[in-house]
Amino acid sequence: MELAAQSGTVAPSVLRKNSLIDSLMHGLTRSAALLVLLLLGGVIGVLIHGSIPAFEKFGFGFFTTEKWNPVTEIFGAAAPIYGTIVTSVIAMFIGVPISIGIAIFMTELCPRSLKRTLGTGIELLAGIPSIIYGLWGLFVLAPLLQQYVQPALISAAEGIPWLESLFTGPPYGIGVLTAALILSIMVLPYITSVTRDVFETVPPMLKESAYGLGATTWEVVWKVVIPYTRTGIVGGVMLGLGRALGETMAVTFVIGNAHRIATSLIAPGTTISATIANEFTEADGEMYTSALISLGLILFMITFIVLAAARLMLLRLQMKENR
Amino acid sequence: MENRPSIQIGSAVASPNETRDALNAGYAEKVSIRDVCFYYGQSIALKNISLPLYEKQTTAFIGPSGCGKSTLLRILNRMYDLYPGQRATGEVLLDGENILSPTIDLNLLRYRIGMVFQKPTPFPMSIYDNIAFGIRLYEKVPKSEMDGRVEDALKRTALWDEVKNKINSSGLGLSGGQQQRLCIARTIAVRPKVILLDEPTSALDPISTAKIEELIYQLKADYSIAIVTHNMQQAARVADFTAFMYLGELIEFGATDMLFTKPKQTKTEEYITGRFG
Repeated sequence: MELAAQSGTVAPSVLRKNSLIDSLMHGLTRSAALLVLLLLGGVIGVLIHGSIPAFEKFGFGFFTTEKWNPVTEIFGAAAPIYGTIVTSVIAMFIGVPISIGIAIFMTELCPRSLKRTLGTGIELLAGIPSIIYGLWGLFVLAPLLQQYVQPALISAAEGIPWLESLFTGPPYGIGVLTAALILSIMVLPYITSVTRDVFETVPPMLKESAYGLGATTWEVVWKVVIPYTRTGIVGGVMLGLGRALGETMAVTFVIGNAHRIATSLIAPGTTISATIANEFTEADGEMYTSALISLGLILFMITFIVLAAARLMLLRLQMKENR
Repeated sequence: MENRPSIQIGSAVASPNETRDALNAGYAEKVSIRDVCFYYGQSIALKNISLPLYEKQTTAFIGPSGCGKSTLLRILNRMYDLYPGQRATGEVLLDGENILSPTIDLNLLRYRIGMVFQKPTPFPMSIYDNIAFGIRLYEKVPKSEMDGRVEDALKRTALWDEVKNKINSSGLGLSGGQQQRLCIARTIAVRPKVILLDEPTSALDPISTAKIEELIYQLKADYSIAIVTHNMQQAARVADFTAFMYLGELIEFGATDMLFTKPKQTKTEEYITGRFG
């Protein structure tokens, strides 16, 4: 009798408390999620607002003009856009195969004792601040490139029609190629750790099936492991590409900060983020500031397009698979 | 089925005479496992296993979980070699050649000894490529012949009618039972000498299981088959010979009907009557 009465009186309050906690949690997590969208919208809004003056003045020509003259207030984004894309693409060409190679070695071939050391090394590489990469690039890598690598590249490419134009001009040490090299080192740990993690999700039985047919390690990796983990690899590459596109400090140190488009990869150039970082403190006029903010907006768009393209590519792969 | 010899291995070590008896009775030894021990690091998983796999016969391995039956299967194609710390001693002769010898070409060995696993493992590629994959590894086959071999493998696994219209779509889109038959088709497409089946129906529904068992029965005409199963009825249905293993030892090996009706060891009898396991 007493128990029944008790449960009759206690239960509703417990229930109320529980539902209160529930709705509180619901509200909290939802507002956290909404905050992300708000922040994103705010950033886009500010970028668009800030870039209106520049786009009003230069129109679509802003994308195609190479000229960047703060004195006469004529600005064009072509050189930084070019530099951003070229450095990132070269960085990917160098970084992706090496990263996947490391990941393959770590998951398929590496003795257990070395695996630990390698993994820690990769993580440490990711932890190095970008300013350190910049310093190292400027004081160690650039002189080395200037002294040995660039002269060799120039003389090797001499006379070969297409390559010659890519490696021509005086070897400064700093330039687009140097920036791309630094970037490839910086994206390495990201791509490696993502690809390693997805390689480890391949069921051992699937690999054993391929080995069971007489496949070599190379064939297993190339025909089974990589196709199986395609989505994850693309994700890792995109993560690295996103980082390469936006990387500021290290690139600013070694790219030379020249607002021009040179066909030669060893010539100085600039990227969007390097331009912004270099010139924001000096941007006195409204137009100058607006031009820099427009650059920021363009970088944002490039990143967005890259991510969207990756999604699209994966979607199409999936469609093809389920045909 | 009547004159099949029952080889009783009391001490789990077959004497040469016993295996010779079997040979005389008309069964050729395709694989001879002799005095094989297996170690996972320091711990021993198989103790002095000796038995034959006869040509074009199905041999089933039964026993409770952890008795070493899957381990034994993985010795036959040296799959354990993929993992450091695992090693086998003794001899396994395939057509008289010791496959445990360190000089043997592992890829070639695995090409000659096919294996099908507990769960279907279609490769992430089209149905056609799943089957062509193994053939392409070791043979240069013109397209027309390849088409024929893929079709043949799919027909033999009774999969052809079900997939012929979507042969270029992904193997991952098939049902579990179809995937497993695809894996068997893939295995036989390379024309191995021996087929190892490691609990091939454990992840399948009864209808798919029945189809696979029917398939095993037909494949016996051309291949020597070893099947690990936790299902005694399955062993009784598909196998000509059965080996009962317990705690890393071979307790009894003999013709399936003999082993199930007149087991010579009390342990075997206890297991098949369900008193433990």
